[in-house]
Amino acid sequence: MRIYLSIAAGLVVLSLAIPAAAETATPAGRIKTVSGEAFIVHAGQTSPATIGHEVFESDRVRTGNDGRIGLTLQDDTRVAIGPRSEVAVDSFSYAPAEGSLGLALKFVQGVAVYVSGKIAKLAPDAVRLETPAAIVGVRGTTVALNVGAD
Amino acid sequence: MIRRGCAVLGMAVLTAACASTRAAREPQPQPEPAKARQSQDLVALLRDPGTGAVGRAVVSNAHGQVELTQARESTRVGADAAPTPPVLLTEEEAERLFGDVLETLPPAPRHFTLYFKFESEELTDESRRLVEDVVREVKNRPVPDVIAIGHTDTTGGARSNVQLGLRRANAVRTLLVGAGLSASAVAVASHGEAELLVGTADGVYEPKNRRVEITVR
Repeated sequence: MRIYLSIAAGLVVLSLAIPAAAETATPAGRIKTVSGEAFIVHAGQTSPATIGHEVFESDRVRTGNDGRIGLTLQDDTRVAIGPRSEVAVDSFSYAPAEGSLGLALKFVQGVAVYVSGKIAKLAPDAVRLETPAAIVGVRGTTVALNVGAD
Repeated sequence: MIRRGCAVLGMAVLTAACASTRAAREPQPQPEPAKARQSQDLVALLRDPGTGAVGRAVVSNAHGQVELTQARESTRVGADAAPTPPVLLTEEEAERLFGDVLETLPPAPRHFTLYFKFESEELTDESRRLVEDVVREVKNRPVPDVIAIGHTDTTGGARSNVQLGLRRANAVRTLLVGAGLSASAVAVASHGEAELLVGTADGVYEPKNRRVEITVR
């Protein structure tokens, strides 16, 4: 009961504090750094990635020849991709009070760095990094990937 | 697939030869990309760019798994075989491969914990001085996210503690706004007594649990 009350209060407050996010769920994170040809794909629509752009579960970010994008998620996870790269935020759930924690990132191509956040700290098995050839389980901090490295 | 290939080719070439030598007659380009390139992924464990800490990573697929435990240890993995045994990248290799993307990482989030006087929304003097640090950190970032989450100790009812936590978070927001941030830039929430910093039984006075945690991303 206590937990439910506090969650309810927390959600109400959050939704009041972030009116822009009221249309759907709260965002998983935001684009914090961007340069060159950079795109975000949300609900099937591709648009230019701009600094401050919100990123939701199921979105993906993609770069062209000279593009770079850096994201910070709500649990402090950070992800950066280099040129000709793509990563999908397949799932994201960060509600520690409810025991709901999960992060799945799919590294589709190119170069990327992942720096773990609170989800990895609280529930390491809830973090899943996927490449076309493998799955990477993480116990803290920093992993770099080059997908299609040859 | 074969049928369609024959039909298409049949229009351009001799239909009779189609069934026996389909592969030879198909247009040359378009090798299947995965097989032609033997595409592999490289996975490397790096030192945390801020703290220098090194974690662990386990790379696995249907054929096996490999654990990376040292900074710059790496493995290559394709879909058809187990990940290779770990290979240590040189500093230069790691820099060449990942230096650029490491620089693209957003700045590390920072956390501040502000403490309150007993049953009040008033900060301790020490915490009051931290407010300026928070504001400075926020202003250093091009697109900051700031969230203040209020917490209480276990004295008082759970429900009233959610309210108290919220008043504390709002008090912190007011201070941050007074110090130059816009109110809309600071989100607030309360976890009441649900997330104790120092675990205690119910009804226990504990200054370390009376706090607002601020995250600046």
